[in-house]
Order: sequence, then C-alpha cells, then structure tokens
Amino acid sequence: MLEDAQRETIPPVARRRPDALLLRALALAFMVFIVLYIAIPIMITLTMSFNDASMIRFPILHWSLKWYRDFLGSPQWVDALGNSLIIAIGTMTISTVAGVLAAWVFERYKFPGRSALYLAIMMPLFMPGVVLGLGVAIAFGGLNIGGFAVYGSRGLVMLAHSLWAMPLVFMLMEATFRIIDHRIVEASYDLGGRPLRTFFEIVLPSVSTGIISSALFAFVISLNEFVMALFLTDRDTQTLPVLMWLSLRSAGTPRLAVAAVILASAVFASLVLILLWYIRQLRKTSR
Amino acid sequence: MAEAHTAPDAPALELDRIRRSFGNVLAVDDVSIDVAKGEFVTLLGPSGSGKTSTLRLIGGFEELESGAIKINGARIDHLPAYQRDTATIFQSGALFPHKTVAENIAYGLRMRGIPKAEMPARIKRSLEMVRLGGYEERYPSQLSGGQKQRVALARSMVVQPTILLFDEPLSALDLSLRLQLRSEIRRLHDEIGFSAIYVTHDQGEAMAMSSRVAVMNKGRIEQIDRPDRIFHAPANEFVHTFIGESCCLPIRLADGKAADLAGAPLALRLREDQADGDWRLYLRPARLKLGAQAVQTENRLAARIHFIEFLGDFHRYHLKAGALEFFADQPGDLGHSIGTEIDVGWQSADMRLYR
Amino acid sequence: MMQQPAEADALFDAARRRVKRRERLTPWLMMAPALAIIIVFFGLPTLYMARMSFNLHPDQRLYVPGFTLEHYLSLLTDPLFTGALWTTIKLAFVSSIFTVLIGYAFALLVWLQPAKWRFAFIALALCPLLISEISIIFGWWMFFPKNGLLSYALLSTGVIEDKISLMYTEFAAFVGLIYVTLPFCFFILLSIFDGIDKRMLEASADLGAAPFRTAWEVLLPLTRTGILVAFAQSFIWSMGTYATPSALGPDTLWTVGYMIQEQMLGKHNWPKAAAFSMVLAVGVAIVMMFIRSLMWKRTSFHA
Repeated sequence: MLEDAQRETIPPVARRRPDALLLRALALAFMVFIVLYIAIPIMITLTMSFNDASMIRFPILHWSLKWYRDFLGSPQWVDALGNSLIIAIGTMTISTVAGVLAAWVFERYKFPGRSALYLAIMMPLFMPGVVLGLGVAIAFGGLNIGGFAVYGSRGLVMLAHSLWAMPLVFMLMEATFRIIDHRIVEASYDLGGRPLRTFFEIVLPSVSTGIISSALFAFVISLNEFVMALFLTDRDTQTLPVLMWLSLRSAGTPRLAVAAVILASAVFASLVLILLWYIRQLRKTSR
Repeated sequence: MAEAHTAPDAPALELDRIRRSFGNVLAVDDVSIDVAKGEFVTLLGPSGSGKTSTLRLIGGFEELESGAIKINGARIDHLPAYQRDTATIFQSGALFPHKTVAENIAYGLRMRGIPKAEMPARIKRSLEMVRLGGYEERYPSQLSGGQKQRVALARSMVVQPTILLFDEPLSALDLSLRLQLRSEIRRLHDEIGFSAIYVTHDQGEAMAMSSRVAVMNKGRIEQIDRPDRIFHAPANEFVHTFIGESCCLPIRLADGKAADLAGAPLALRLREDQADGDWRLYLRPARLKLGAQAVQTENRLAARIHFIEFLGDFHRYHLKAGALEFFADQPGDLGHSIGTEIDVGWQSADMRLYR
Repeated sequence: MMQQPAEADALFDAARRRVKRRERLTPWLMMAPALAIIIVFFGLPTLYMARMSFNLHPDQRLYVPGFTLEHYLSLLTDPLFTGALWTTIKLAFVSSIFTVLIGYAFALLVWLQPAKWRFAFIALALCPLLISEISIIFGWWMFFPKNGLLSYALLSTGVIEDKISLMYTEFAAFVGLIYVTLPFCFFILLSIFDGIDKRMLEASADLGAAPFRTAWEVLLPLTRTGILVAFAQSFIWSMGTYATPSALGPDTLWTVGYMIQEQMLGKHNWPKAAAFSMVLAVGVAIVMMFIRSLMWKRTSFHA
C-alpha cells in the first residue's frame, strides 16, 4: 500500500535513495502505531467484557457472558441505559428540528444581525461541557413548574445536550443546504407552494441524507455525554455514562466493560441502520 | 386583496416602467410591456441584456425597485412568487427529483386546492397535450432532456396561469430537439391560446413563435414589434445588427452626395434630408442583387468578387468596392467566380443609415 | 368597478406592507426554536453564572447575594487554584502540540494512500469520535496499571522482569487526552490536504528536492492555517475537559474543569464554581475568535 503512495510522489531516481527507504519504513511504522493506538482501548474493553473474573487483571483465564447477564439483571444499569436512550432520542429530535430550521433560514433569508446570530448559535458548541452543565444547573437548580421538578429531569438534560447537538446539526445542514438546487425551490414557489410547504415537501426530501446524518451525530453526542449529565441528573435520571463515571471512581469491574460495549453497540447499530437506509435510498432514485 | 381592481378587459400582463439593479448594474431599466390575452411575447437579447431579470421580476423571484406589474389589471408586484398567477418553465426544467411525473404535475394543482378526484383526469390530459401519455409513474431521472422539458411545460400549463413565463426552456437541448419542441410550443399556443412571455437569445425561436418580439439591450427595450417588422424595419442600429445578418458600409455624406471614407463617390439614392457627416450604411446580404439582376435596382456599385463561401442553401460572395468590403448571399448554384468585376445593386427600402 | 387612483394606491400600499411584514417575520419564526435553546439554556445561564460569580459563599450555605471579587482573585492568589490554572494551560498546550504532530502525520499519510485504503483509515479515525469519553478512559484504565495489559504484554515478552504501572502518571493522562482530540485534528487536516493538488509534490520532487525538504517547503506553508485551526480546536477541547486527566493522571493533576466540578458538587461553593467557569468560558471564547479570524482569512483568500 505504501509503495503506491511513494511511487506517486517520488521519481525513480529518488526511490532508490536510502532516505526514501527510511521514509517508507517510518511511514509504515507510524501507521502500525496509529492503528494500535486507536485499537488498544477498544480491543481491551471488548475482550474484558467477556471476562469471567470479577477483577480487571491480565491475563484473562476464563471467558464467559457472566457480566452481560449481570448488567442486564441490574435494574440500576438497565435504567441508566434506558435514560441514556430516552435522552439521546429527545436531544436528537429537539436539535434536529431546531438546527435544520435555523440552517434553512441562514441559507434562504436576509435579516439583520446575521453574523452575530451565527456566532451566538455556534458558540455553545465550543464551550466545555463543565461550563454549560454548571450554567444550566445553577440557573435551573431547584426550579419547580407546577409541581414538576425541572432540575434533575430528563427534559433538562436533553435541552442541555442540545447546546452541543443543535449547533452541530446547524453547521452540517448549512453546508448541505448550500448545495441544493435552488431552481426546484423556485419552481415550488412558482406553482403556489408557500414557504413552509415548500420547505417540508420539496427541500427536506432532497436533503434527507444530510438530515439523517446530522441527526445521528446529535444522537451520538447525547448518548456519550456525561459531564453535563453529571451536573443535571439525579439517581432516577442518571445516564449510563454518568453511572460508568461514578463507578469507575469507586471500583472498576468488568461490568464497566460490558456497559462500554453496550453503549458503543447502540451507536454502531444506529450507524448500520442509517447505512441500510442510505443504500435503499440510493436504489430508489437510481431505479 | 388586490382583486378589487381586476378589470375584465385589461391585458393579461402589464409592465409599467419596471426597474431593478444589481450593485451598480442597472439590469432592468424602465421596461414597459403590455401582453394582451392570448399573446405570445418574446424577450430577445444578448446575455446580460436584462431579459431573464425581467422574467424573474414578473415571476416574483426578484424584488422590484420601482414601477408596477399588473396581472389582469391588478397590481401584483408586492406579492411573493407563490401568490402570483404565473407559472415558469425553467431552463433546466427544475422538476422535483423525488416526485414522479404525475406527482410533479399534481403539485401545482394541490397547492391550488383542486379536489383530489379531478386530478388524475387533469394530469392525464396535460400529459397527452405534451405527448407524454403513459409516463405518469416515471421519475425525472428516467426521462430524457426533451421529455423533462415537456413535463415542465405540462406542470406549468396544468394550473392554467394567467401568464406562462418561459426562461430559455430549450437552450439546454440539442438542435433537432430544439426545433421540434419549438414548433410544439407554437402548436400548443395556437390550440390553447395561453398568454406567454418567452425569454431567449435565439432569434430563430423568437421569430418562429412570437406574436411580438421585444429586443432588449443593456436593460432596456430597444424595439417591440411583430417579428417581420423587427426584421424589416429595425428601430435602430442595435436591432439591425442583432437580428439577422447585415453588412455595414461606412460612408460620408457631403452636400447630399455620398462617398466612401477614401473619398470615392458612390451612386446612392438617399433621402434628401440626411445630414452631412459620417454614417454607417446597413444592408441585408440576402437582399443584394448581383450582375444582371442588379440592373433594375435603385442603388448600384461596381465591385469585385474577393472570395466565395459555400454555406449550403446559398453562396456568400465577399465583395470589394473601392474601400468598402461587404458580402452578398445568393441562393442556388454558383453563378460567378472569384475575381469577376460585377455590379451589386439594392432597393432603397432595403438600406438603413445610422450614425 | 375601478376605484379612484389615489384610493387604489393607498389600498395597494397597505397590502404591500402586510406582505412585507409577514416576509420579515417568517425567518424569525423558523429560527425561534434554535434561538430559544440558545437564549434560555446558554444566554440566561451565562448571565446568571456571571452574577453568581460575585456572590458570597459563607460556610454551610450555597451562596448569599452580595458582591465580591474574591473568587476571581483566588485564581491569582490561592496557590491551589493558580496551580490548577497553570496545569490546565500547560496540559492543553502540550497535548495539543502532540495531537497536531500525530494528526498531521496521520492525515498526510492517509492523503497519500491510494483511494482503496482511505475509507478504512477514515473509519478508524471515526471510532474515537463515536465512542464515549468514559469508555475511552476505561479502556486506558485497563491498559496502564500493574495488572493491566501493558504490564502483562511487556512481562510475557520478557522486556521487563517485574510488573510496572504507568497508571496515574502524566503520560497516561496525555495518552488519553490525545486519543480524544486526535480525530478532530485529523479530519480538519485531511480536509486541508484534500484541497492541495498532489502534482505539486511531484513537481517539487522532479526538481530534485528530497522528501523532507518537499514537506518543509511546499506542504507546510500550504497547511499552516489548517495546523493553527487544528491546534486551537484541540486546545479548546483539552482546556475544558477534566474527566480524562483526573481519571488517568496523578492526583496532583488538577485542571480548572476539575476545580469547577469539585467546587460545585464537592464543596457546594456555587459562586467559586461560577467564577472559574466564567474564566474558562472567556478563555475558550478568545481562542474561538482566533479560529474564526483564521478561517475568515482563509476563505477571503480563496474567494
């Protein structure tokens, strides 16, 4: 694989030079290093989740699904997984709707204060989770609306997670909208389609791939986030990453590895679903 | 809203001194046109002449700076595109790629609240009109360029707008398809009698289809008239040079006598009130007579055939008469050879002077 | 029936104003959800936090309203907090340098690969992005300690004779931190490389330049902006994070983020947590403005 790359960049004379050989060896070594670097924590976790022992210790002597059974049998962990999924789906919905609409406005309309608003929408994406989490916690701590405790509720976590997810959707969709064919938008207006009707019936279907991808990112961000959630959840609404963080602080067991595997599976399962949808979509239009 | 002003005998479309600029460029400059009901008016001009901008102002895709646009006598220039009773056929067709042909055509009907039950019949009829019966379930990606434009035409006509707007709909197609669709649009106009504004840079299209042609240049209308009048009685030098082919002979008038710029006298029969000075004399090459045919004409020059081009239907004789160079188009077989001294003649009515 | 011209004009103007008003309103209606989220959950909390940072913090109470600068001053005077501030900057700086170095080499090599390998490497680089930081921490948490994989691997291959632990060292913290920031940096730089015409390298090599020289004189100037953006991006990230360094690093590795969490959840000192948070937010905003000005220059250069 590297030979090809080298041949592209180095003429025949140079290829025989010793420093070119050295370079090739270095490149190969670096690639091995990077693959190992990225793979190590993933592989360790995957391996450890099938460990039979109750201690994290190498070598692994016996294999079993014991810790998966343990995870699924523990209401605390299953509830945390449920909370995570509910919050991630909520965040995905909120931030996709808000982000897509806002991106369309930035693509289609002229209005005063445009660049300031752009900055305002993007700003939270760059803010550390600890800052956002603390802000929301302080502002909404102890807030009760008609007997419903806002603080500690899943809804508040969804909205806090949307501070990261929504600007991300906005950013991706802004880039997506820039490449759509504006003639079909004009054609829709021309035939009497009002702006909202046009948006939903003409614009959205032609950017469905972009929307689904940004929704996936929103889902993943929320599913994995634990710093904001740490500030904003209580025992009943704790998410899986929060529970993992708290139990890592006390003692690490293979149960944590199982939790990590399950969390990652949720992400990759949604990724696979989207790939399948995308392939189906491709088949439909190129029929 | 503005419907109170509607007058039954008003033109389908009135443009009243409409104006629009982009940056420093005045794209549409005080353009006024009335399109009577059933009339087919073409905006013809080079690129950048403001013809497409004018169409987009009518369609509601650009905002007017000043002036007024009326449809059936009622002002509509404040209305957004989706509330105007116009329908545009775009250059690219602009079909909705994720909708079938039938869904594309149904779209405008649905937006106008046409009952669902009526739709299939209307869609079928409009597809048959553009000779695409049976294509209902196809997707745009399965159609050829010409078929796409037919669907676009059906989609716009099915909503029966007061005025149809054509934005160079044939310019992306190849020549034979262009000719075929052009006569079909003409046929549909004759059958249905819709009112239309048609934008093009192709004079052939303009001449073949239009009730009237408006020649545009630099945002202004240079002349608006019947195609034959545009061709035979151009209002000014721009129209003369833009429409059809013409030869330009620079001449000088002094005391009512014409001469070329080198000073050699020319035997021209001019109107007597022409002022002295430098003029540009325009002739249509197809109207020039050569040799024996030139005997009967009012104006004659002795010229020499410089070279000859064979252009299929006619021969083009490039001529030199003193300092003047021009060419004459003659149908039929080659009648003269290179180097021949020959008389060139034309009627005074076929000659135009500009300065 | 036709109306008088003046009356018709007045009616028309009224109709025009109605349409205009509706057109001006539409974008704001469509932006309303996004703006509501930003204002209610970011704007207001930030203002509230700014106010909170000046409140007093007596013992046994979260806060009492008042006005004091002591929480901000403590960042400069209290050695514990000054140390945390310093540690945060140092940590972010060092880890960002390594992130950019590794990310640059990674992106460069992927860019030079034939297309068939590209997808595999991009998928690989996506993995750390899709996995929760907590799972990554836990993965390394099983790698570094005495009974971890590293120690076992070295021991069983005979490199070392006794179990070793790299757990709770700054090295472990950097390994974890770089792992998290690497994908951002990689994708930023890869997109920059993709904008470069590969033939430029051939041209340089044709002129007899050695590969290193080509890299130095051709690639580096072309990717300078990308490097700065990638650096700033990972700097922002590592400045705000606290989980990875506090879980993998030594007990003394206290970052501002860790302090905020500690003050808020441990010490229940809301004003101090708010003050630290404000400092962190302002620091991030400054770096973000820096990125924006770089991006702006870049796009204006290309336009």
